[in-house]
Amino acid sequence: MSHLCSCSKTASDEKYQDPFQLGRKDLKNLYEDIKKELLVSTVELKEMCDYYFDGKGKAFRPMIVVLMARACNIHHNNSREVQASQRSVAIIAEMIHTASLVHDDVIDDANSRRGKMTVNQIWGERKAVLAGDFILSAASLALARIGNTTIISVLTQVIEDLVRGEFLQLGSKENENERFAHYLEKTFKKTASLIANSCKAVSILGCPDPKVHEIAYQYGKNVGIAFQLIDDVLDFTSCADHLGKPAAADLKLGLATGPVLFACRQFPEMNAMIMRRFSKPGDVERARKYVLQSDGVQQTTYLAQRYCHEATREISKLRPSPEREALIQLTEMVLMRDK
Amino acid sequence: MSLRCLLSDELSNIAMQVRKLVGTKHPLLDTARGFVYDSRNNLQMRGLVVLLISKAAGPSTAELSFQHNMVSGIYSSQRSLAEITELIHTAFLVHRGIVNIGELKSCDGPLKDMQFGNKMAVLSGDFLLANACTSLAQLQNTKVVELISSAIGDLVQGIYYENSKSSEENCLTDDIGISTWKEQVFLSHSALLAKSCQAAMELAKHSAEIQDMAFQYGKHMSMSHKLHSDLQPFVKESSSDTVAFSLNSAPAVLHQEFLGREAWIKQIKEAQGKGNIMDYKKLQEAIKAGKGVTSAIDLCRCHGSRALAALERFPPSEARAALANIVYAVTRFP
Repeated sequence: MSHLCSCSKTASDEKYQDPFQLGRKDLKNLYEDIKKELLVSTVELKEMCDYYFDGKGKAFRPMIVVLMARACNIHHNNSREVQASQRSVAIIAEMIHTASLVHDDVIDDANSRRGKMTVNQIWGERKAVLAGDFILSAASLALARIGNTTIISVLTQVIEDLVRGEFLQLGSKENENERFAHYLEKTFKKTASLIANSCKAVSILGCPDPKVHEIAYQYGKNVGIAFQLIDDVLDFTSCADHLGKPAAADLKLGLATGPVLFACRQFPEMNAMIMRRFSKPGDVERARKYVLQSDGVQQTTYLAQRYCHEATREISKLRPSPEREALIQLTEMVLMRDK
Repeated sequence: MSLRCLLSDELSNIAMQVRKLVGTKHPLLDTARGFVYDSRNNLQMRGLVVLLISKAAGPSTAELSFQHNMVSGIYSSQRSLAEITELIHTAFLVHRGIVNIGELKSCDGPLKDMQFGNKMAVLSGDFLLANACTSLAQLQNTKVVELISSAIGDLVQGIYYENSKSSEENCLTDDIGISTWKEQVFLSHSALLAKSCQAAMELAKHSAEIQDMAFQYGKHMSMSHKLHSDLQPFVKESSSDTVAFSLNSAPAVLHQEFLGREAWIKQIKEAQGKGNIMDYKKLQEAIKAGKGVTSAIDLCRCHGSRALAALERFPPSEARAALANIVYAVTRFP
């Protein structure tokens, strides 16, 4: 994997650092702080809301947000401090993300996530939906308290996109060409929008230049899409234990993701299965075999690389800093991850 | 006042899908029916109250430059807020209709119908909430976003308490006194309207005092409304079949407080008889014989008075009179 940026390093020779180390200080108490936002009087509802904020998740999104905040602050006035409001954005983004996961699990009737049982599995669907709603309302409250109407608009867009993304997933397209566009649009709305808009939000808070906001947004968008593409690949290549959730989950849900859409070009017999959303017995297994026989996985991975390339190209426009380098490195981590 | 988003593609998609639920037992079907036909004309009541209180409060006493976008005495932002309130209320009506997959019995029908119904309920509720959030953001007022977000949090907690009163245990009734009952009902039935009324005042930059009065009206009127609703099975003169009522409704809770928990449990058991089927008529008689019903009526009227007292701070107008009439309607008993 070659380094794709051609930026010059500063004289002080920024060391190659693990992105997660860089952001560690800011994120140290992230989950504790999120739990503080979840002010609920009932013990059980509190337990449900706190369930995924156990510090065991990847914290990938907050990491990006915090690094982007610093990169933008440095670009603007060489300040390496993360503002309180920027940190709030990281918290809010993670809360919105989690709320949507809780609802997704009810919608998909999922029973495990991150190696443990889902909220709906333990407490039932009724309460799970309420817990998701509560986390969202707490995120919205925290957002309002930042006191910035632009930031409210930017992050509220995410909430809308998440729901629209779910709806996009409900429908399907007959035309092969439309399918891919549909898949990418859904991917943007369900995954990339959150990252893109939270990056944009912290850039607005850290720097007045609209060009910087656009850079931040584009970085987030491209990294987000790449992240989801790799996720879709892993659904085929990884095994359940390692992933922390069942594999071939997308096929079982009737979803045709990147690897499937590419495979379909080589194996047109997959079309019928796609149209009926892999509902006939044996469809899931057959589809899986086709994908693994095809170059679907490679094509999707290559596409993800191109998105990462684009993300790197964008972020390289900012002033050099350890955080900027970390964000570039992060794109490579996205490509290399195995869960 | 129309809910613009109801004309969207997403919801017509949902409507088509919900048709598949016809013939199943998923609660979403009832909720959907309720939107089309509601015998008690409760459609969009909250939104209406927000509009009326906006009108009753009149134009902003703040800078004159603020007086733009006012149609029929209501600012467009206040109109939008009325819609937002309805969106949120509706979203939770829908989210209340989720079923627990693990508790289904064979008489509930095929599992996949229930799963499908749940999926539709979650999605449509989320869609309505997302629209509410977007509209809230467009108001460009962080204090209002704070207020309404906290109202959503209240609503969730209130509904959570409602759910907790499950019929799983042998005991069909909670051991709560009336003050706890009031706290919980405030959350599930009053908070949204109370805070929306306050928010409407904030949008017109009215004083903290007026904001508080609007809040008090919303709060006390909703409490009266809930009490009035709970009392219906006990005050109707009809001799036809007794309708089942909630054992956690106000008259029952008050009855328990007066009688003591043990005696109340005994009465419930007596009414359940041998087949464990509740004889609601018998239980109703027991409650009517005690002080629960009259107490509940008093409480209803008490909240009504407080709502009217709050209204006094607004200048006389048709809108104010309409708000008072709503109070009279929910405190009237045969």
